[in-house]
This record gives sequence, structure tokens and C-alpha cells, in this order.
Amino acid sequence: MPADVRAFFLSTVQVVLLTAAIIVLTFLGIRPDPDHYFAGSLLHIKLLENTPSPRMILAGGSNVSFGIDAELMQRTLGIPVINDGLHAGLGLAPLRELEEYIREGDVIIISLEYDLFANQDVMDGDPAFLSDWIEYSPRRIEYLSNPLTEAPRVYAIMLQRKVNRKVNTYLFGGSLNEVRSVFVGTKYDLRGDFIGHLQDTSTNRQKIPATPYPVSVVQEDIFVFLENFNRIAQEKGARVYFEAPASRQSNCKATGEMPLANFFKTFKERSSIPVLTPLEEVCLPNKYFFDTEYHLNARGRELKTKRLIENWIKLTAASK
Amino acid sequence: MLFNSAAFLIFFPVVTTAYFLLPHRFRWMLLLAASCYFYMAFIPKYILILAITITVDYFAGLGLEKFEGRTKRWVLMASILTNIGMLAFFKYFNFANENLALLAKFIGWNYPISSLAIILPIGLSFHTFQSLSYTIEVYRGNQKAERHFGYLALYVMYYPQLVAGPIERPQNILHQLHTEQRFEYRRVTDGLKWMAWGMFKKVVVADRMVLFVNPVYNDPTSHNGPALVFATLAFAIQIYCDFSGYSDIALGSAQVMGVKLMKNFDHPYFARSISEFWRRWHISLSTWFRDYVYIPLGGNRVAKPRWAFNLFLTFLISGLWHGADWTYIIWGTLHGLYFIFSAVTEPIWIRLSALARLDRSPRLKVAISTLTTFSLVTFAWIFFRAASLTDALYIVRHLVKGWPSYLVQSWHTIVQEGFQKTADLGLYSIVNALFNILAPLTKESRTVIALTALALIILLVIEILQYRGNFLEQLHQKPVYLRRIVYACLIAVILILGTSYASVQQAFIYFQF
Repeated sequence: MPADVRAFFLSTVQVVLLTAAIIVLTFLGIRPDPDHYFAGSLLHIKLLENTPSPRMILAGGSNVSFGIDAELMQRTLGIPVINDGLHAGLGLAPLRELEEYIREGDVIIISLEYDLFANQDVMDGDPAFLSDWIEYSPRRIEYLSNPLTEAPRVYAIMLQRKVNRKVNTYLFGGSLNEVRSVFVGTKYDLRGDFIGHLQDTSTNRQKIPATPYPVSVVQEDIFVFLENFNRIAQEKGARVYFEAPASRQSNCKATGEMPLANFFKTFKERSSIPVLTPLEEVCLPNKYFFDTEYHLNARGRELKTKRLIENWIKLTAASK
Repeated sequence: MLFNSAAFLIFFPVVTTAYFLLPHRFRWMLLLAASCYFYMAFIPKYILILAITITVDYFAGLGLEKFEGRTKRWVLMASILTNIGMLAFFKYFNFANENLALLAKFIGWNYPISSLAIILPIGLSFHTFQSLSYTIEVYRGNQKAERHFGYLALYVMYYPQLVAGPIERPQNILHQLHTEQRFEYRRVTDGLKWMAWGMFKKVVVADRMVLFVNPVYNDPTSHNGPALVFATLAFAIQIYCDFSGYSDIALGSAQVMGVKLMKNFDHPYFARSISEFWRRWHISLSTWFRDYVYIPLGGNRVAKPRWAFNLFLTFLISGLWHGADWTYIIWGTLHGLYFIFSAVTEPIWIRLSALARLDRSPRLKVAISTLTTFSLVTFAWIFFRAASLTDALYIVRHLVKGWPSYLVQSWHTIVQEGFQKTADLGLYSIVNALFNILAPLTKESRTVIALTALALIILLVIEILQYRGNFLEQLHQKPVYLRRIVYACLIAVILILGTSYASVQQAFIYFQF
């Protein structure tokens, strides 16, 4: 090998190793944030691991974590209930993770936000949200839709977000509480319900734009996924149900009755998963919403949970 | 293919390694195939445009050497018409057509020709000009006609400078492509350093500036003077880092393979006059216009009014070269006017500076002239960046609006959250005050603002060091371990602070031209 080439390889290796050292030290030096909203996903995993079956698992985006009271369901139904809802921005990755924890006798109620049905990118998840979620459990990388191709990007974003978070902490005087507001990872109850918003009564949070729900275009891929999920659950001896996400009256109105009805019609036609909530109960008055068209406040959460329990009892009674 | 894409991260080392492993006689094939692949990553079918212009110019070159007199001129004309014809059709047809339709409507004519659904081929203006310079130089006798079709094709398509320049001359490139290049440690590593620096400018600085520019320029009517000024300044930095970053990567990647491309940027924002700015900004284009438009028109060896006309026309065409829109034409025209105005009023400025005794404080004089030039250039960028003429005029009209209340508010913020609270909360209150002053200008988070400031500081320090001397040479004098650490830190900063590689890649601004 010519001397110049040898020298080049040597210096390249040195620079690459030094760069890798800087990156690794930065990566490992900034620990996952224990107060991040997604830190609650670790509690969810613990519950999924340690709660005996038969049990009920509520899965989906933040409409589930904010808007369904697993504790109330557990008290009423007399079986263990786990709230595994987290964030719609994670796409279907949390459901892929859930597949591993399904056991015989489990009842899984999935409540996915409409956006996941409308857009392939939302289904795959936002890389920024996914990187935050994976930071808490690195093996979650395998739950991405294409782990091999997406992993480099997700880790690159994770590195950037770690640094950004650290810088942000300094810029806010050593604490992120000012920007975090109620969305704190420690505010989950023992059943995995997010309860950080229940005491928040600030009125400006309720100024939610009446944008229509994206129900007009429905991706075929999500039904392929849901059918596969249902098949795996059934093979393990579990049952899967679908629950409409919390839907706000003004947004429902902007969406239109027909498009919303068509959405559920399409769902029933293309999916073998039974739908729990009747169409007339899908939309709830505006006063029951917290800060987005999917997040219920304390009263809304109670109403939605009670209706869900009623519908569940009706459905199981009818099937008997 | 974008330089700031993962694909290029694989493409470049593979092509470069293969280049050095292959015997010299096969290298042109490799580079040509790689350049075709590079270009076809955008819109594959547009490679045909290149094929046509290269074929025409190949035979034109041979004809220009063979014929003399009128026939020679006809051959040159055929080459120019083919190249400009392509450019005119793809870039200017719709613009001309829309304006003719408007004119027809104005005078009540029925205009039957509708616009075409054409996507502008990437880098069309660049490779067209590069191809044109070949036939013009052969015509002038400065360059021998290239007999090897492959080498001529490679001259036009050489991937580092294919889509955004520098717009090379055949005298500089063709002989380098013919020469067998060996692997030289210093040359290769210096090339890689340029590439890393270009990448820093693009993904760390320019793409961060997008966050401050786009929200304002996409919706200017929702913003007041301070925000418009802030966004315009951010765009001045964005476009410099975006384009000079591209040029650095192009220069560096060519240098790795032993080809020295011409310098395209030489710290233009340190220029003390508009004429100096144009000697430092997009040098390959400004010298192209100088050699092929301005001087043939008569340059400055004519009467003053004619000289002013020559200059004005050159800048007007330069504006049109950048884009088929009135905003670009106004941008070019503005620079032409700046140029003429500064030349005409030069004696007045000299007298004024003597009266103000600026000669006694040369640093102040330099500062004033640099700042004035930068302000004029930045003002012209408004037309370059605005989505429409209406937007540009709105921005110009509102630049000075909303300032007093903003300044009063800023002062209150400093006093209340900065100085007064410092005793209680320390440095945090000052930081808080600074961010609260910036808050009305941008919706970006504190992290983004702080990291952008950090990136700008790094940029400014390196730019000053480069301006003062050969920075790479100075760096090379330092101990090896220190250099390794500097390079590793630069790459780590690109990975950690770079915005585009991790999320959505921002295409280089000049690709659209």
C-alpha cells in the first residue's frame, strides 16, 4: 500500500474514532428525561409484564391516555385494566410492541386517532416522537415499520433531541417544567392513565380550532395491520375491539355526519374487529375537551369511560 | 442527488475509491457514468437535454476548428441557439407566455397560447453556461476542440459542479480531466476538509436559517418591520451558506479526485463596495457575464452612458438567469443600479469621507463601507427571496413599520427581566430577557435560537480566520492531535447540530436555477 494511502487510512480511522467517541459520550452522557411524557411508557410496559391475565388493555394514542379511566373500569368490571395509550405521533409502533405482551384471555380495546387512518406517514410515526419513545427502551427500534432503513435517522434525531433537551434545560434555568406544563411523565396513575390534566382548569386550553377530522381518505395498509394484529391476538387467545377516539362536537360538525358515518362503515366493512361505540355516541360536547380535539378533560373522561363500560357490558351480554 | 443526502454519503466514497483503483484510461467512463447517475437521481429523462447540448457542442467544437470566417460564425451561432434555445424553452417559455397573455388581456386581444406543464431541469442554467463557454472559447481560439466525446461530456457533466456550479471554463477543467491524478494525501484530505466545512455551512447554518426565514417570507403580511428585517438578515446568511456551502462541497469533492475547480466565493459579505461584492460572490457566474456579455458589449472602454447601459444590461440578464420572474429581474436591476450609482457618486463619497476625516480612522471607514455594502446587498435579497413581486413590495414598504413599539417593549424586557431581576435570578434572567426580545420575531424555541447563535459564532470565527489568511495552511501547522480533534469536533457538530440530514432534506437554493 502506498505511503499516502496508508497515512490517509490511519488519519481517517483516528478522526472517525474521535468523532465516534464524541458522539457516544454525548449520547450516553445525556440520560433519558424522567419527566418526559413518554417516560410513562415504561410504566405501561411494567403493567403489561406484571398484570395477570385475563385483563383488559386499552391501546391507542393520547385520546386513550387522557380520555379513558382504566382505574374506574377496573373497579366496575372487576378485572385488571391497563391504560397503554400514549401518543398518536408514534403511529402503529406501540401496537407492534403490545403484540408481544398479549396473553390468553386478554381483551384489547384499540382506539386510534383518525389521522392514523388517513396518512401513511402518520401510520409509520413521526421520527422525532419515535426517537423519544425509543430512547426509553432501545429494543423498541424493532417496532418501527422498517427498522433497518429508519434506525440511522431515528438515532440521529435522538442524538439531536438529547442535545436540544439539555440546552433547553439550561436556557430555562435548569428545569423544563415551564415548557412541559401538565405533560409530565410522572403524572400517570397505577393503571397507566395520564392524570396530569385532570386538575387543570385553565380556560385558554379549551380554545380548540374546529378543524375537520381527516376521515375522508382511509389507507388500506392500516386495515392490513389491524387484521394481522387481530389474528395474532386471536392465536394467543385474546380478543380485540375497536373504540372510536374521543371526538369533539364542533370538529365532528366540521367533518360532517356523512363522512364520519362513512368512516365507521368503511371500518366495519374492511375490518373483522368489532366496534364498541355506536355512531350516535361518537361525538361528545365541546365542554368535555381539554386542549385538543382528542384530549378529554376530567368530566369528559368520566363520561367516556362510563359509556365505554356500558357498551362493553352490553356487547359481552349480547354475545352470551 | 443532493450532497446532503445519505445517498451521497455512499456515492462519494464508492466513486472515489473506484476512481483511484481504476487505470487512468477507464476513469473518464467511471466519472461520466457516476455523473449520469448523480443527475438522473433527480429527473432521469432530462439527461436527454444534456445529451443533445453535448452532442451539438461536440460537433460545433470540431466545426469551429475546421471552418473560418462566416461559416465559423454560423457554427458558433448554431451552438449558442441550441443551448440558449433549451434554456429559453424550459426556463423562460412560461414566464414569457404568461406576460404576453397579460399584455394581450390588457389591450383586449385574444391570446391563444396556454402555458406548458414543464418542470425546470435541475441545474439547467449552470450546465448550459458551462457548455456555452466551451464553444465560445474554441471560437476565440483559447481552447482546442475536444476530440474525445467522452471527455467533453465529462467536462459538461462532471458531477461535483453539474447542478450548481462553479461554472467552469474549458481551459481550466479539460486538461485536468485528461491528466492522470494520483492519490496525494494532502490534496485528498484538504478536499475532504472543504467538503466538511461546506456541509457545516449547509446543514448547520443555512438549514437552520430556513426556520427563521420561511415563516416570515411565506406569510409576510402577518409580520411587522422587526420580524421582516430579522428574516431578511437571516436569508442573507442562509443564501450565502447554502450556495457557498454547495460550492465548498463541489470544490472539495473535485479536489479529492485531483481536479481543482475555480473559487466561487471569497467572503462576499466582507466586501467594501458593490463592485467588490461581485468579485467575491458567485465568481464563476460574474466572470462568465463579464467575459461573454459585458466585455463583448464594450465593457468600460466606451462612453459613460454606454458603459452604464452595458453594466445595467449585464446585471439585468444576470437577474433573469437566476429565475424567470420579475423579482429576479428587479434583483439584478437593483445591483446594476447600485453599481452605476456607486461609480457615478464615487468622487462625492471620497470628498465626504475626507470631510468626515474617515481617512484618519481606516477601521471605521472599512466598517462603514462594509456595513453599507452588506445592507444594500441584503435589501436586494428581499426581491430574490420573496414569493412574488407583491410580497416583495409589501416587505419593502413595511421594513420600517412597527419599530418604536418593539424597541420600547425590548427596553422594558431588558429592564424588568434582565437588569432588575439579575440580582434574584442571576444569568438566567438576562437570558430570559434576550429570548423574550426575540420572541416576537420568531416562533422558534429557545434551543433553536441558541444553537443557531452558536453555529453563527463558529461560522463567523472561521470566516474571519479564512479572510485573514490561508486557514487550512495555518491549521496544518498545528500539532496532529489538535487537528484530529478539530476535524472530529467539526463532524460531530455537523451530526449533532445539522438539521437537514436527520429530518427533511432541504434542497440547495441554487438547484432551481
